Amino acid sequence: MTSADTDGKVRLPVARRAALVPLSVTINGDRRQLAVPPNRTLLELLRYDLDLFGTKQGCDKGDCGACTVRLDGAPILSCLTLALECEGKCVLTVEGLPGGAELHPLLDSFDRTGAAQCGFCTPGFLMTSWALLDETPRPTRDEIRQAIAGNLCRCTGYKAIVDAIELAAKMLRGEEPRLIGLPGSANLPPPIGTLPTGATAKDKDKRTAPGAGSSASQSASQLANQSANQPEEPKP
Amino acid sequence: MSDSGGEAASRTAGEDATGGRALPPPIERHGDVLRRLGVVRYTDDIKLPGMLHAKILRCPHPHARIRSIDPSRALALEGVYAVVTGKDMPRRFGIIPWTPDEYPLALEIARFVGDGVAAVAAVDELTATLALKLIAVDYEVLPHVTDPFEALRRPEIGLGKSGRDNISKHVALDFGDVEGALAKSDVVSEGHYYFEGSAHVPIEMHCAIGDYDREGLLTVYSATQVPHYLHRELSRVLEISPARIRVIQPPVGGAFGGKSEPFDLEFCVAKLSQVTGRPVKLLYTREEEFYAHRGRHPMHLHFKVGCMKDGTLTAVDAKTLIDGGAYSSFGLVTTYYSGQLLTLPVFPPAYRFDSTRVFTNKPPCGPKRGHGSVQPRFAFEVALDKLAVEVGVDPIELRRKNAIGGNTTSLNGLRVTSNGFLECLDAVERASTWRERRGKLPFGRGLGVAGSSYISGTNYAIYPNEMPQSAVQLKVDRSGRVTIFSGQSEIGQGCDQLLRVIVADELGLDYSAVRVVSGDTDLTPVDLGAYSSRGAFMNGNAALMAAREVKQKLREAVAGKLGCELRDVVVTRGALCHRDEPGRCVDVTTAIQLAEARFGTLGAVGHYNTPKVGGDYRGGTIGASPAYSFTAHVAEVDVDLATGEARIVKIWVAHDCGKAICPVIVRGQMEGSAYMGAAEAVLEEHVIRPDGLHVGPSLLDYRIPTSLDVPDLEALIVESHDPEGPLGAKETGEGPLHPSIPAIANAIYDAVGIRLDRLPFTPARVLQALREKRRREGDDNGAALANTAALANTAALANTGPVAKTAAAE
Amino acid sequence: MLPLPVFQHHSPTTLADAVALMAELGDGARLIAGGTDLLPNMKHGLVEPEHLVSLAGVRELRTIVLTDEHLELGAMARLADIAAHPEVVRHAAALAEATAAVGGPHHRRMGTLGGNVCLDTRCVYFNQTYFWRQALGFCLKKDGTACHVVASGKNCVAAASNDSGPALMVLDAELELAGVGGVRRVLASEFYTPDGITNTVRRADEIVTKARIPLKSGRKSAFEKLRRRGAIDYPLLNAAARVDRDRAGVIANVEVVVSALAARPKRIKAQGALAREVSIEALVEGYANAAFKQCRPLTNLDNDTEWRRDMVKVVVARALGRAAAADPE
Repeated sequence: MTSADTDGKVRLPVARRAALVPLSVTINGDRRQLAVPPNRTLLELLRYDLDLFGTKQGCDKGDCGACTVRLDGAPILSCLTLALECEGKCVLTVEGLPGGAELHPLLDSFDRTGAAQCGFCTPGFLMTSWALLDETPRPTRDEIRQAIAGNLCRCTGYKAIVDAIELAAKMLRGEEPRLIGLPGSANLPPPIGTLPTGATAKDKDKRTAPGAGSSASQSASQLANQSANQPEEPKP
Repeated sequence: MSDSGGEAASRTAGEDATGGRALPPPIERHGDVLRRLGVVRYTDDIKLPGMLHAKILRCPHPHARIRSIDPSRALALEGVYAVVTGKDMPRRFGIIPWTPDEYPLALEIARFVGDGVAAVAAVDELTATLALKLIAVDYEVLPHVTDPFEALRRPEIGLGKSGRDNISKHVALDFGDVEGALAKSDVVSEGHYYFEGSAHVPIEMHCAIGDYDREGLLTVYSATQVPHYLHRELSRVLEISPARIRVIQPPVGGAFGGKSEPFDLEFCVAKLSQVTGRPVKLLYTREEEFYAHRGRHPMHLHFKVGCMKDGTLTAVDAKTLIDGGAYSSFGLVTTYYSGQLLTLPVFPPAYRFDSTRVFTNKPPCGPKRGHGSVQPRFAFEVALDKLAVEVGVDPIELRRKNAIGGNTTSLNGLRVTSNGFLECLDAVERASTWRERRGKLPFGRGLGVAGSSYISGTNYAIYPNEMPQSAVQLKVDRSGRVTIFSGQSEIGQGCDQLLRVIVADELGLDYSAVRVVSGDTDLTPVDLGAYSSRGAFMNGNAALMAAREVKQKLREAVAGKLGCELRDVVVTRGALCHRDEPGRCVDVTTAIQLAEARFGTLGAVGHYNTPKVGGDYRGGTIGASPAYSFTAHVAEVDVDLATGEARIVKIWVAHDCGKAICPVIVRGQMEGSAYMGAAEAVLEEHVIRPDGLHVGPSLLDYRIPTSLDVPDLEALIVESHDPEGPLGAKETGEGPLHPSIPAIANAIYDAVGIRLDRLPFTPARVLQALREKRRREGDDNGAALANTAALANTAALANTGPVAKTAAAE
Repeated sequence: MLPLPVFQHHSPTTLADAVALMAELGDGARLIAGGTDLLPNMKHGLVEPEHLVSLAGVRELRTIVLTDEHLELGAMARLADIAAHPEVVRHAAALAEATAAVGGPHHRRMGTLGGNVCLDTRCVYFNQTYFWRQALGFCLKKDGTACHVVASGKNCVAAASNDSGPALMVLDAELELAGVGGVRRVLASEFYTPDGITNTVRRADEIVTKARIPLKSGRKSAFEKLRRRGAIDYPLLNAAARVDRDRAGVIANVEVVVSALAARPKRIKAQGALAREVSIEALVEGYANAAFKQCRPLTNLDNDTEWRRDMVKVVVARALGRAAAADPE
């Protein structure tokens, strides 16, 4: 083995690096002022610079969809998007999908149907289907299959994913109850220092994509609060 | 439930001494998905302070001697910290203790395009990538071989252990008088089948991080299915005591068998971390994923299967040539599996197989979902279909007639307990409306059936030892929370959730109160890994054992509190109650506190070892399992007569999983398996060119299906309640892949009357076979394509009138 | 990661600035539109520009306009938007179908018309990593001297692999190119050349700014693509067909283009297919047979060349069948 010494050795010039360029971009609702090299992809920016590891790398050249994020609402491949091309734009990643008490119906439905097995492709599917449901509240199964055709999954055979997206669409339209049998929903501790509902709704709006239905999200939060407030009862 | 063994298998595992407790209603959600959605850290999501990034320099020749390696220019590049080569780790490793034949980096000889020869650690991936181009390697190119028949013909290439041949393993076993039985058969189907190899293609690529700390403790994080075996091999190769090594296996983003042995990157990051004193990460590129491979072996299978006029099977004579690629991997086992796993659930009383695995200068093959048995299953189930047609017996009937049943022993000594195969056949026959439709669909459309069986783990650990094959520890907290420490590897198959449900069910808890810590050799007891479909059966039983010990203490404490007999205390959802007085209850959390007060800190260990099963002959334990799953598929295809594309319309998948503890997970495994098999049938092939280059090591060229390329899937769960499985459960992860391919092949025959004995069934091959059929049948249009209207496939064409005289466009 | 090489990035906001930049930066500059073709190629070391000039900020190139005589599509119009645009579907069905068939849904959300028109040619010996190409010994399109498709071939036969090109050709579209010397217009059918290394007449400093598709009553067009999967794949073959009918509903004119063969999409010549009283079946068959004779797929895209040749008939028949079958409005 050979280690590189720092002393007494003539070094080749540094691998040529371009100067950093300022970048202003909104990520999951937070405006960020950054400086990046021009050869930084959005995927690298998210994972390496911002530690937003939810966005995955599956091929790094646009063949698999694992790195899908939303750029100004549209699902795009972050591995084929230069970070600098996002100047002034809004990026949403899986970390931006509402969780907790306002759990997004997609997260709920993916667990219901088993639409994630290993979970590695899932953030990409969530981003693609989040955009789909914002644009098409009542998608047919064929429209769903078409929309996710750029996201490869190796575990499920896709059926459970199509089922989940269909189910989430129904939840968003209020046609299907949410948070049914959600693990832990019966066991959630009572909220500590509970925020007034108004504050929660505002938080949510900040994180929701333009055009996302908000009335449904509201009902999710109500449901979650209800179950959260129920003390666990030992069943006699 | 039928007479096939399921009935005999009473549900002892789901009950206990107190009796009468019903299982909770099936969990109609996965239950463990939310944790994964962007929150779980996979290996590449781990970032350690001061971490360096490594890359491996790979050999561009299929077979070459390394004369010298000069890393000086790479080391002179700013940002490069170290370079290691084969000489830094000159000890062989291999998953099978008898065939260690790989070095972490090639020592003298590189054996395929993509074999690692040096590794560099640098400040980032870009620098490491640039540094690779600055490492000078002097190669002497050696003769190479990529075809397995050529490997037999050219022993002088010397890829075998002796250096005098290219043989990796040869197995020949005989059961009964095959010659005699074939001679007496009314019909013998003889065919040569070829199964092109395929790759696992998990969406997460292999990744590992080495962290050799200042106390000399080596921690390796890896996307592996086998942390325990990795632990052992790291110790052997790096010559560090296993007590100084910790292997952490973060959740894995898909594996399918492709991460079930040590790989070059794990040794490289460990060594580079040792050299640099900094954590080092290495993430494969998608291209390297195809070089690391260990995918399904290409196999040439020559099968003779005989039967009588009434459909009774007489004998099977199989000769198989297995293309192993450059290294042994699991090859010894693969060679046995290519014959041993065929004898269930439908088989004649005479059998012999002769399997030879050869080395070639290609990426090494290994275990892919349905290790070693998917290929012969294809040949055999297609042969059964040919025989059924020949003797005029319905293919489902032929299988029923020859089914082995439950509580019996197979020809080669496999002990069978529960067996729901006939129920599986019934289920797919009914759901597909087989009787109404098979053989009666319009030309181009058809139905096909196939069946199979698979192991629930093997009774033989990869290295011989008497210690448990699986173990868990339970920690019970007085808050009412239980933590399971499990050595099993969560790779997406759902083993963590399965443990939660099993333990929660025993203790009357909501499964969200149970948490699993898994895959960490410092924190969790040894489990051999996520392979051989062993997780649910072995790890589940280990968890059950530990949970029952805790339950006993809870019941004793509650009996004391209620002032009743121990036998009167039963566990219900959320509480422990007097069985005759439902009002007298203690909630589980209180019961835990009572038990802790009485017995001290609560915890338990559980473990599992298989009973000694298997045939009494050399190799008789390979393929021997405590329980077997059973599967039947019906596939429906629609062949485009103009393009040759065989579109798979639907697959009905019936699978005997013993007991569906988590139905959503069981269905997911069934659908995922069936789809993966379907893709191998029509789309996927892992091809290496004669010059040793991979035809296209990318997700653009190695095409796995998109959502638009998969059939409709219908999962039909069959429960046979295995007497030894945890709560009656058996495997589900691999079995349901097997019948996909032959069911599709048989459906294509039903649709258009052609037999494609070579995989995959590409449009080009289907079209070619259709033409040959027409030619054989003396069709006037033989060589010509169908007429244009058929080509255009446009109904509107028929209604259009003549066109008036016009000038041509050109 | 497949690290991108180092370059400088420029974001002009007007076409004039973009044109000036390209002229100023010279040979080392490349345009980037959607990036779905260029960036993978850069990651493979196939293109090594010193400067990338991004057209993302040039808003004037994004419009889709219907005038009395033309459908004008800006080069930066997204493929997905074109595919779904009602006027494109109505007046240029072949283009709508072609853009809907490009890659996967993400590629169509990112990719642009100009980018697709200028898509680099593809070949199994070219679109590979540096390591792979090095193991092969490189090829004449990049870093090497030998062609691996045509033994001892001196000309690169990498295949035109865009789907919009054949559609624009049959639609008689005109491409507008802007350079420092001004604007010039080139017929789509004259835009491509047989050279696989650079298969268009666009000069390195020119920018494709728009495609103008003439409106013609009685015109009907269609597009077909052969690929192994329903999405993501580049074409193994594609065909666009257009049929013009006169006021009496009689077919006056037919144009068929087949691509994903070699560097230039091929116009199918079927002398006589329209020269007599023929049924539509005969017309379609005439073109399908002519295409079969004129098109010889190479091993540049895959090894099933015989099958692909057979499929020439099928894609032509299916495209032309649809273009000829329905009555024009």
